[in-house]
Amino acid sequence: MIPLENFLVLSAILFALGFYGVLARRSAILILIAVELMLAAVSINMVAFAAYLDPTRFTGIIFAIFVITVAAAEVGLALGIVLRLFRERASANVDEANSLKW
Amino acid sequence: MLRRLPLPAQIDRTITLGGLLASVVAAPYIVVLGVLFATGELSAPEFVFWLNAGLVVGGALAAVLLRHIVHAALGLVGASLGVAGIFLLLASEFLALVQVLVYGGGVTILLLFGLMMTRATDGPIVTDGAQKPFAFGAGIVLAGLFVGAMLDAEWDALNVTVVGFRELGIRLYRDFGIPFEVASLVLLVALIGAITIARREPAPGEDDSK
Repeated sequence: MIPLENFLVLSAILFALGFYGVLARRSAILILIAVELMLAAVSINMVAFAAYLDPTRFTGIIFAIFVITVAAAEVGLALGIVLRLFRERASANVDEANSLKW
Repeated sequence: MLRRLPLPAQIDRTITLGGLLASVVAAPYIVVLGVLFATGELSAPEFVFWLNAGLVVGGALAAVLLRHIVHAALGLVGASLGVAGIFLLLASEFLALVQVLVYGGGVTILLLFGLMMTRATDGPIVTDGAQKPFAFGAGIVLAGLFVGAMLDAEWDALNVTVVGFRELGIRLYRDFGIPFEVASLVLLVALIGAITIARREPAPGEDDSK
């Protein structure tokens, strides 16, 4: 049997990789990709806890379903914003979206 | 036979080269795992776990490090498929199916669609900023913190039991009915918002109500 720690460490590494991606990337779409990685890491974590520690009520699995739903909504909405940004600025680079900068 | 596929030459080259490169990188890892499995060091579930973990971490590295945006999106597909495999190992079949359908299909298509709309596919572009070293440090610190905390804690883990479709459906619709409906509302509002934001502004003098 696989120890629970294996899944937890895998999800921690995946989350850190996504975190690095969010901080290091400048293209809005690449930042979205990194955010998807972080969401997947959280899902792994919750499903692992549900499967190992709470097998009769498995609330973590239900939570993961909602995470996937919200992630889909978030990608759709964010891509709408990126398209609009691109139309206004002719670039999807988040460094150039600085019209709120004082 | 592969040459007969009606694919544009660039995509054809990308898939062939990328597949070749990925298999060259992955081959030693798989060989080591296979040797360990054959000598009995690894049980079958552990073998599958390490295979999927390699796919997840490799795909995530590709998604975060590659400079070409389409390649990064393909890395995200690989990582998502690996995560679906991890869900299968955790005995939740429904989530694995949903992961493949939503991430492998929908999200990736949406991202590629966004790439094409923003004309980001014209060759490798500079995507990483001067904040890279800081981001690297922050990622390392975060990973160290999480891994340390998770290895430090004691979990009284039970055996993994399979959560079937039937039990999952009963639990979801009986105990989480209202959150489920709210989630559908969230999706609806998000889609309407996306359409409203991304819609082209009517030209001056043009009637908006048409």
